Amino acid sequence: MKKTIPFMALALVVAFAMPAFGQASAIDYYGYAWETGGFPPSNPGDTMIFTGVGVAADPVFGVDFGVEELTFYMYDLVSTGEVPIGGGTVMINYTGGYLEIYRDGAMNADWGIAPPNPTSPSTFVDGILYFQGSFNSMTVFLDAAGYGSYEGTLDGLGGTMIDDVCTGCVYTWGGNFTPDTGAQIPDGYDLQVDGVFEIEEAVSTENTSWGSVKALFN
Amino acid sequence: MRTRITLLLLALLLVAVPASAQQLFDFLGQAVVPGIPGGMLNMDSIVNDPAPGTTPIPLDFANYEYTMVITNLQLISGDGTSASPQNYANGTLTIFEDNGTAADYANPATFSDGTAILIGTITTLNRTMFTATLGSAAGWVDWVGGTHLDDIAPVDQLGWPFLTGISARSTVIEPGYDEQWDGKCEPEEPIVDVEEMSWGSVKALLR
Repeated sequence: MKKTIPFMALALVVAFAMPAFGQASAIDYYGYAWETGGFPPSNPGDTMIFTGVGVAADPVFGVDFGVEELTFYMYDLVSTGEVPIGGGTVMINYTGGYLEIYRDGAMNADWGIAPPNPTSPSTFVDGILYFQGSFNSMTVFLDAAGYGSYEGTLDGLGGTMIDDVCTGCVYTWGGNFTPDTGAQIPDGYDLQVDGVFEIEEAVSTENTSWGSVKALFN
Repeated sequence: MRTRITLLLLALLLVAVPASAQQLFDFLGQAVVPGIPGGMLNMDSIVNDPAPGTTPIPLDFANYEYTMVITNLQLISGDGTSASPQNYANGTLTIFEDNGTAADYANPATFSDGTAILIGTITTLNRTMFTATLGSAAGWVDWVGGTHLDDIAPVDQLGWPFLTGISARSTVIEPGYDEQWDGKCEPEEPIVDVEEMSWGSVKALLR
């Protein structure tokens, strides 16, 4: 009995501390964004909106792009304004904001022009809510030529991904963007956006009774 | 004579109607970055189907894997910070089509097997890191070879933007590489397919 308990404790540590993924699992996406008041400049109080589609996903997500699409809708990110950081580059921090990802068999995503419009964001928010998260942080860097990158982190709020793939995970949102010169951007959008949604440090935890734990080893 | 001119104009209109969807080669990959001027930057990546956008030339994603590879892109100057972006020149960008070996970052050679359908020269590229782990790069590509070069009209083969975001976080970097690159190479405006047709066929379209 004395030997059994340490063995079970060790087994529990191994079982519950094992990362769900060996490395960050990712969804590659692209799309188009606009900001109230235009971009650039990003003035305090301006709001960023993005609609996009997934083009590749790690197998862990179980997405079949042949029969369904992944669509992205980012909204309510409020700019705190541009801060020069040298070399003609500005940094823009955003507050608030949400990201939603949908799985949709209709495969009808359509950016249209001059958003918001009858198809954007509406064709990006139909289907099954796969993920909903609120931004903890979101920072954009914009260089003198108008190109830039962004990165943010989210807390998961809901959606089937959280139940199916990972609970207690860290969600990261990052990528780059291109202005309306040098990229194909539908009329009325400010930016072409290309990036990766990642689940990092995915260590799942699960509450369970001691009886249930013992049952696992019976 | 007037009829022929009218027919010719109508035919040009029919063939030259621009595509409405955005066109891009969307890629996600891994790069090795040199530390000092004179060193070479290399990148291996997978090209994804950008639906509902389209690729600039038709690709068969159902039956083939497409990879995009940068080789021998030489660092000319700069340290990569916002104050001193790195300037690169004279690299080769190749898109491979392969239905044999799946691309595997543990074996970089799996990215450059298959048929080179497009071969380009990266004339210039600027790489800037805004933080220690977040940056972007922008450059220009001239397509000069490959089995599908002729799918692009000569006037459309030059000056394609190459744009990528850069992440150097350890969680997204594969062993043997320095950075994750996620971006696209695309024409500045949608290009159109060239379709050869006899004069009789053109006239038949208008009957």
